[in-house]
Amino acid sequence: MEYVDLIRSRASEEHFLLGNLAIVRGALESGIDVYTYYPGTPSSEVGEAFTKLYREVGMRWVENSINEKVAVEVAGAAYARGAKVMVGMKNAGLNVAADPLFALATTRPKNENSACVILVADDPQQYSSAIEMDSRYYLKLFKIPALEPSNPQECLEYTKYAFEISRKLKIPVMLRLVTMVSHARSNVKFGDLMHSEIKDDFDLSPEVNVASRLYFLNLKEEQIYTRMNQALNLSENSPLNKIMSENSLNEYGLGIIASGVSFSYVLEALEHLQIKAPILKLGFIHPLPERKIAEFIKSFKNVFVVEENDAYLETQILAIAQKNELQTKIYGKDPFSYSRENSLLSFVGELNPTKIAQALEKITDLPNKIIANQIKDDKYNTVKRKPVLCPGCPYGVIGYALRESLKKLSAKKPENVYFYQDIGCYTLLSFPPYSFANVKYCMGSSIALAQGVAHTDDSLNIAIIGDGTFFHSGIPALLNGVYNKAPILILILDNGWIGMTGQQPHPGSDTKYYKEGRYKNKIDLEKFLEGTGAKLNIIKRQDHNTKNYPKRLKDLIYEKSLNVLENGELHVILIEDECIQKFNENNILKIRYVDEKLCTNCGICYDQFSCSALYEQDNKACINRNECLGCGICEDLCPNNAILRGEENEL
Amino acid sequence: MNYNNYTIVITGLGGQGLIKLLQILGDSLVRKGYKVMTSEKHGLSQRGGMVTCFLRFGDMIAAPIPIIGSAEMIITTEKSCILNVLQYANPNKSTKFIITEYKKAILDSKYPSDKDISDILKNYSNHLYFLSSENFPKNQKTTNLFVLGYILKFLPIEKNDIELILKDYFSGEFQAINQEALINGIKYQR
Repeated sequence: MEYVDLIRSRASEEHFLLGNLAIVRGALESGIDVYTYYPGTPSSEVGEAFTKLYREVGMRWVENSINEKVAVEVAGAAYARGAKVMVGMKNAGLNVAADPLFALATTRPKNENSACVILVADDPQQYSSAIEMDSRYYLKLFKIPALEPSNPQECLEYTKYAFEISRKLKIPVMLRLVTMVSHARSNVKFGDLMHSEIKDDFDLSPEVNVASRLYFLNLKEEQIYTRMNQALNLSENSPLNKIMSENSLNEYGLGIIASGVSFSYVLEALEHLQIKAPILKLGFIHPLPERKIAEFIKSFKNVFVVEENDAYLETQILAIAQKNELQTKIYGKDPFSYSRENSLLSFVGELNPTKIAQALEKITDLPNKIIANQIKDDKYNTVKRKPVLCPGCPYGVIGYALRESLKKLSAKKPENVYFYQDIGCYTLLSFPPYSFANVKYCMGSSIALAQGVAHTDDSLNIAIIGDGTFFHSGIPALLNGVYNKAPILILILDNGWIGMTGQQPHPGSDTKYYKEGRYKNKIDLEKFLEGTGAKLNIIKRQDHNTKNYPKRLKDLIYEKSLNVLENGELHVILIEDECIQKFNENNILKIRYVDEKLCTNCGICYDQFSCSALYEQDNKACINRNECLGCGICEDLCPNNAILRGEENEL
Repeated sequence: MNYNNYTIVITGLGGQGLIKLLQILGDSLVRKGYKVMTSEKHGLSQRGGMVTCFLRFGDMIAAPIPIIGSAEMIITTEKSCILNVLQYANPNKSTKFIITEYKKAILDSKYPSDKDISDILKNYSNHLYFLSSENFPKNQKTTNLFVLGYILKFLPIEKNDIELILKDYFSGEFQAINQEALINGIKYQR
C-alpha cells in the first residue's frame, strides 16, 4: 500500500496494513491538524507518512522536529491554540520529551477542538534501542490517560478513541505501542475520514496554559481530581476494558488479565495448551478500572497477570486486591521480591506465546509439553552474525583510519585512549573489529562523557557522534566542552542524514535532496561549529573518486589527537561523507572486482578494513558483486592496485 | 490442507527483500479473504544482518509471533540462517523447509559444511526442499520473488493473485524483472 492510499481509500475498505500506518489512518479519521515527531524505530513510519501526505490532506502542520522536547513544545502550543495534535517518538524519546510534558499534562486548553495524543513506541528486547524501557510508569508521573492497542486494527480504532478522550477531557492521552504492534501488519478496516475542525478564533488564557506558581497547583488539583476522575469513569465503562471468553471456565479456577500484544500471546498460548480461561483485556491502561478489576478477580481462585517488561499492571492489581480484601492468588512477576525464581515472567526482554505457555504449565501443573519441542542439537544453532555496517558505509573507512592513526600515535605517546559513543549507525563501530566504545549512554551523550574522564585523567578521550544526533542533543555538550576547555577530540561524522532510521532529513541535510526540502532552510554545520570557537578541521570525501582519502583522514586524526594531548584543548574534526544509501539515489557508482593475478591476499581490504561485501576465498580477496555498492574505498586501500572498477551497480 | 492456522517463518539477511516478500504474500492472502498477521525481527545492522519474519494466516491467528514448534513452513534465503530458527519446526517433523543455497561468509567464524547442515536439518524435518543457486535470478535482489514463486504450490494462492498486485510494489523495469523471477520460481524443479 502506498502512503497516498491512506487518504484515497474509502470507509469499510480493508487493507493489509502496518500498525504504524493504521495509526496514521486513525488520526486522519479524527481530523488531526498537527503532527510533530523525531524519528526513532519502531515509530518512524508514522512521521514519514504524515510528511508525504499532509499537504494533500489539508493538515495545518507536520514537522520532523530537532528533538522530542521541541516536538512536544511545538505540538503542545498548537493544542493550547485549539488544534488536534499528535506527537510521535520512541521509548527513549519520551525521556527527552518529559520536561515539557509535565507542564503540558497539567494545562487545560479552553478551545473546544483541542486534543493531544502522545504516541510512544516501546522496544522490548531493544531490537533497535540503546535501552529497554517500559514507558507505562510515566503515566503515574504525568497523570494522563493511556490506551494500548494489541494489533493494527486496534491501532486505528484506539487512535480515534485517544483523540476523542483528549478532546472531551482536555488532557493529553498517551497511545502506547511496542515493536510487535507498530511493526505488525494485518487486515485493517477503514472508517470515514474527518475534516479538520480547527477554528480561526481561539482562546490562549494564561490561567490554563501557563505553568507557574501563579496557576500550576490549582491546575494540578483540577487535573487529578476532575479530569483524571472523569478518565477513571471512562475507563470503568470503556469497551476497551472487557472480559473475553467470560464463560470458558477451567478446573484451575484461573482467570487472566492482560493488555496490548501480550493479550494476543495469551490467546495463542491457551489455544496451544487447550486450556480455556476468561481474560480481562485492558485496552485503557491508565487510569486502571479498579471496580472492574476487583469484580473480575473476585470470581477466581487464581489470577495470572500477563505483561511485558515492568510489573505495571501487577503492582496495581495487587493493591486493588488488597484494598478490596480479596483472597485470590495473583501470579505474575512477584514484583516486590526482585527474585528471578519467583517471577513467572521476566522483567527483562520481549514476551512471546512460548514463555506464557511455559508459565501457564507451571501454574496449572500441566506436563511440560512446550519444553519437549526445544532444540535437539545445539552444535550449529548459534550461527550468529555480528552487526555490520552497509557495504560502502562512510563510517567503515573512518573506523579503519581511526585505528591506523592511533597505532601510529601509541608509538609516540603511550597514553591510554578511550572512546565515547553515541546513537547512530556509527554505534556499530563499538563492535569488533573496531571496538571503539568505552562509555555510551543516550542520544547526544558522547561529547559530555568524554569531558568527564578528560577532566580527571591524562588519557586521550575521543567522542564519536553523528550529524543527526549532534543536532538532536549534542550541541549543549559541545558548548559545555568549549566553555570549560575540555581537552577532548570530537569526531562529528556528517553523513548528511538521520541514517539509522531510514535516511530522514535533519536541519543540516541538503534541502535539494528531499521533497520537503523546498520548504526548509539548511543549517550550515561548518559555520555553526566555527561560531562556537572550537578548534575545527573539516575533511570531505568530496566525491567518491578522490584518491588518498583514507590516508588524509588517518593523518588528520593522528595530528589532532597529538594536539589534544600536547596543548590540552578541545578539537573538533568534522568528517563529511554522505550516507551510501542516500548517495546511491543520486549517483551511479561502479562496483569493484578483484584482479586475482594482482591480489597477494595481504588481507588489508577484507581483514583490516571491514566491509561486509569483502571476504577471503581460495586465498584471494573477493568482492560480492551483489553487495558492493561501489564506494571505492577498497580500491584506495589496496597496495597492489588489484581492485578494479567493473560494471555499474544495479539497484 | 487446513488453512485455519498456518505459520511461515522466513529468515535471511537484511537487503534480501524479505520484508517485500512478506508484504506481497500477506497482501495477496488478505485479498483472498484471509486474516493475516506478519511481524519482523531485525538486529542492529542496516544491511547484511540477520532478519527473521513471521507470516501467519487463518481464522485462528491471534498473535504476530507463533509458539515454538508450530510452523508449517520455514524459509531461508541464506543457507546458514535457518539454523537459528529451528525451534519453530514441528517436533513431528512435518514442517516444510525451503532452503536457498545462497551462502554469505560469516565474519570470524567458519561456515558450516553442507553435510553438517543437511544432517542437522534431517533431525527436524522430513520435508527438505533445497533451491540450488545456479537457478537463481541473475539480479539477486529478485531472489525473494523466485522463492515466492516456488512456495506457491503449497499455499492457497495462484500465480494470478501475485501478478495482480506486483504493480503496487514495483514500477517500470523492476516489475518485469520480478515477474520473471516469480515465474522462474514457479517453474523450478529440482
